Amino acid sequence: MWRALLTVSALELRTRLRDGTAIVIALIVPVTLATLFGLALGGDDPPLRATIGLVDLDGGEFPASVRREVTAAEELKGSVTLRDLPGDREARRALDAGEIGAAIVFPAGFSARVGAGEGGDVTVLTSAGSPLAGVVASAVVDRISAVVDARTLAVRAALLAGVPGDEVKELVERNGAAGPALTLTGDPLAGGKVDLAVYYGSGMAALFAFFVVGASFRSLLTERKLGTLDRMRAGPLAAWVPVAGKAVVGFGLAMVSVCATWASGTLIFGSTWGEPLAVLTVLTAHVLAAAAITMLVAARVRTDAQADGVIMVISFVAAFLGGSLVPLHSLPGPLQTVALLTPNGWTATALAELAGSGAGVSAVAGPVGVLLAIALGAGGLAVLGFRKGMLL
Amino acid sequence: MAAMTAALSCLGLGKRYGDLVAVDDVGLSIAGGQAYGLLGPNGAGKTTTISMLVGLLRPDAGTVLVGGVDLAREPLRAKARIGYVPQEIALYPELTGRENLRFFGRLFGLPRRGLAARIAEVLDLIGLTDRADGKLGAYSGGMKRRVNIGAALLHRPQVLILDEPTVGVDPQSRKAILDGLEHLVADGMALLYTSHYMEEVERVCDRVAIIDHGRIVADGTRRELVSLVGGADTVELVLDGDVGAAFEKLRAVEGVSEAARTGDTSVRLLADGGRYLLPSLITAVEGHATVTATQVVEPDLEATFLHLTGTTLRD
Ligand SMILES: Nc1ncnc2c1ncn2[C@@H]1O[C@H](COP(=O)(O)OP(=O)(O)OP(=O)(O)O)[C@@H](O)[C@H]1O
Ligand SMILES: [Mg+2]
Repeated sequence: MWRALLTVSALELRTRLRDGTAIVIALIVPVTLATLFGLALGGDDPPLRATIGLVDLDGGEFPASVRREVTAAEELKGSVTLRDLPGDREARRALDAGEIGAAIVFPAGFSARVGAGEGGDVTVLTSAGSPLAGVVASAVVDRISAVVDARTLAVRAALLAGVPGDEVKELVERNGAAGPALTLTGDPLAGGKVDLAVYYGSGMAALFAFFVVGASFRSLLTERKLGTLDRMRAGPLAAWVPVAGKAVVGFGLAMVSVCATWASGTLIFGSTWGEPLAVLTVLTAHVLAAAAITMLVAARVRTDAQADGVIMVISFVAAFLGGSLVPLHSLPGPLQTVALLTPNGWTATALAELAGSGAGVSAVAGPVGVLLAIALGAGGLAVLGFRKGMLL
Repeated sequence: MAAMTAALSCLGLGKRYGDLVAVDDVGLSIAGGQAYGLLGPNGAGKTTTISMLVGLLRPDAGTVLVGGVDLAREPLRAKARIGYVPQEIALYPELTGRENLRFFGRLFGLPRRGLAARIAEVLDLIGLTDRADGKLGAYSGGMKRRVNIGAALLHRPQVLILDEPTVGVDPQSRKAILDGLEHLVADGMALLYTSHYMEEVERVCDRVAIIDHGRIVADGTRRELVSLVGGADTVELVLDGDVGAAFEKLRAVEGVSEAARTGDTSVRLLADGGRYLLPSLITAVEGHATVTATQVVEPDLEATFLHLTGTTLRD
């Protein structure tokens, strides 16, 4: 059966390569468009305007210093604004409504507990819609944790040394050494800076993946018209062989396409898309989802010409809504929610997260999971459709 | 039954498309070395029947056995024994004839070693050795038809199923194709053949089923079918000797239903199975006269077909 599969794949690959348009659509067009968009619209500064909510249930020195530092930091001027919110619930509501990109919540008594050497937890609320605000908020909180840890340690040491409890706080703060004040060293945005070239590059990769993988399922319909599919089906081979043989080639070519766009973006603009293994994981999940969706199209339409049209429309709609053509963060709020109905939306979110944070695979487990779920769902429906349409 | 497993048989095959009954209770059985013709007007259900026999279409009812193997239960084993020649040319125009054969040969699991030799063998059989390396798209209609058949022969099937294999083929190519098929049958292959050309079916097939509105309305040897119309053969004899006495002997022969003198030396008889009656006719006149010429005019299948289906084969 593997030999039959390879035979189908080999012919499909040969046909695609001979055709010439395969190379154009898989490599030349996405790389060129990504480069042109990157050159025209990419730039040093991301057009980041993040509003970060601050929920101060503590009223102590820590929230105050966050406020002070964020307003004072040169790097954040004009791009990050703080907004005070009365409570946790309001913060979540504002986050869901897209009014703020992230929120930092100080629980009541936080400063006092840290002063007493008990440590404390600050909560960060983030939204998938604006990963960059999340990065900034997390950077701030990282600094806070460092300060808290240092203070807690100092207070414990002082207590152990026999300093009376009510004098410890004063002692630690007066000596300063063990209790660094909260400072935002460096550029907290450095990690969150995503070159627009990355947005456009990954967007083109996501869009063209549909066309490249879709062409293989389309050719299944061409073969149905040609009669060769029936000849295969009448032969002694399992029903899934023709579909799988073509799917393998479509998947492979689409992976080559997205990776070429990725590589060219990295080479031409010097901008990183993030940790390579994580990027590859996201791209693979995206191509799987695109494969399943275009396979579903092929299972539902009658002719290859119809498949062309439907795949074209679906690809562009998903690309537009999913932030492949226009960066997600410049879409209006409601559209950012709609984006999550498309694989492109999840891919864009995941890649922005990776490019911004340098995080690994675990950071994008959620979006990758959704992409795989889309692939499974659409793929399952496609198989049912093929059964009914007598392709299998 | 067990002793003589048919190469291909089906029982109670049925297929509906909504309200339309495309195939209804079709049963047939073909032995190795037998050629079976399926005759029917347009839309009679020939292609639908064949699609079910080769496993392209799931029947609503009925079973298909290929060499005793149930097609529904063990499709791969059953299909390995079938060669299917589709009604339309089903090949890749951008590949050469040889490449087309190589593709389907590999796909159908022919061993790597010996594949090239088998392809050469098939090319020889379909008479295309010279042109094998030209693009199929540039072939003539007849050449394409021949590759269309060749691709179904690669894996040495025991049953060959052909759906109108000679449509749009010039007489010379058609003769080549029919000669080839007759060779295959002589070598023991079972053949199921549909055609719009009565003379092809008459030439190739030793058993014929007439299908109309999805049902087999008659089936049997060509002679059996023709006799269904009640058409006895007309036998013309020219005699030398005592014609009158000979005539009396002839009309008494078993099977002769009518006899008439048509001239001084000629007699016309209406006889069931006239061709086979000839020896007894010749024996009957011995001592009175000798038969100097005979002509048997059989009622033809075309007439039978017309009688049974109310249509002619070609429209
Ligand atoms: N997929 C289908 N959907 C609906 N009706 C169909 C379908 N395929 C065939 N039919 C109908 O079933 C009947 C039998 O068709 P079939 O193709 O088997 O005829 P045929 O004997 O092969 O005719 P021809 O000599 O023209 O090839 C026709 O009435 C046809 O319209
Ligand atoms: Mg037909």
